[in-house]
Amino acid sequence: MAGIKDLGVGIGWRSEIDLTVERLPGVDFVEVVAENLHIGHLPESVTLLLERGVPVLPHAVSLSLGSADQVDLHRVEHLGAVAEAVGAPMVSDHVCFVRAGGLDSGHLMPVPRTKDALDVLVANVKLAQRNLPVPLALENVAALLEWPDGELSEGQFLAELVERTDCWLLVDVANLYANARNIGTDPERFLDEIPLERLAYVHVAGGEQHGDIYHDTHAHAVLPQVLEVLDELCSRVAPPGVLLERDDNYPSDTEIASELAAIRAVVDKHRG
Amino acid sequence: MAEIVEENDLSSARERLASRQAELLNALLANGPAPAGFDEQRLGVERRALLSKRRGIVRMLGPAVADELGDRFRPLFDAYAADHPRRAGSRAREDAAAFAEWCRACGELPEKLKARWKFWQSN
Repeated sequence: MAGIKDLGVGIGWRSEIDLTVERLPGVDFVEVVAENLHIGHLPESVTLLLERGVPVLPHAVSLSLGSADQVDLHRVEHLGAVAEAVGAPMVSDHVCFVRAGGLDSGHLMPVPRTKDALDVLVANVKLAQRNLPVPLALENVAALLEWPDGELSEGQFLAELVERTDCWLLVDVANLYANARNIGTDPERFLDEIPLERLAYVHVAGGEQHGDIYHDTHAHAVLPQVLEVLDELCSRVAPPGVLLERDDNYPSDTEIASELAAIRAVVDKHRG
Repeated sequence: MAEIVEENDLSSARERLASRQAELLNALLANGPAPAGFDEQRLGVERRALLSKRRGIVRMLGPAVADELGDRFRPLFDAYAADHPRRAGSRAREDAAAFAEWCRACGELPEKLKARWKFWQSN
């Protein structure tokens, strides 16, 4: 299938900012967190956006596709049902594991970049794909620590994943920036290594530097350095869409609007 | 035949990965020993980040408990969390409820608070 084209600039729909998202100018598409929606009673605000023709893309956070465990097909089924309920052309989750050894980290943990981890991830992704009604895009996560025995760079790991599963990529430039700061990922090399023709869309988010660690909080303003990574990406490919994620400590509508405008300015700069 | 070999390979890959992932989460969430090869300082950063995220979610889901505990909320939650890592399949609301219950059992929250929540929950 062809990729999703021209989504434009979007924002993550959250119940706390539902009215903001509805009335902000220049919201071309939204994402919803699939785990927070219930089939049969979508939030009124999401229904309203759908009626306006705004694309709504389900984004999952709990499939744990990088887990050594088998995929929980109930979670996959829910994601697929949300996709059908909102008529989405694509769904997404992360290249990560959430659960292991009977424990739940409550977070998107990086997987070791080893052959073992890649083989398991590929098998899990293929099973998820077989049980989803629409294509799956997978997102790079922000890591605070590095597994000791990585055999591949982050970009090579994702390129292999795409090669073997034909999945799409959701590139989070804030996570890429975080990894550059925290674990020494080279953003330019990352962008050189991933297959940009499989780029579904892009995430942008805010964070905060604490001492020598950058925390991808989604609760602070987007740093200019993150927009620079977006700029670098846009110099190589016109992304089909770019979406701002804000999950806490919500600012005024004006501030959100200006972050969206700053994102649009970067994207437009590269469009002749 | 090739497929069977592949599946066997995959199941051994799963086993090796499972034990490494379990070891890491055990270190981060349940005071387990640091897995070999990891930067200990970064394990500490990750441990605190995960704890802080979990604490924030419990605070958001149970503001009445957090308000009642005031300054005691953070140390109490951290003590509770270390002994009660979140189990796979559990929900954040169950975590918040279990923390409140743990506080009551420790005598840190009065029993009457429970009745007050019931009042503003729909029933």
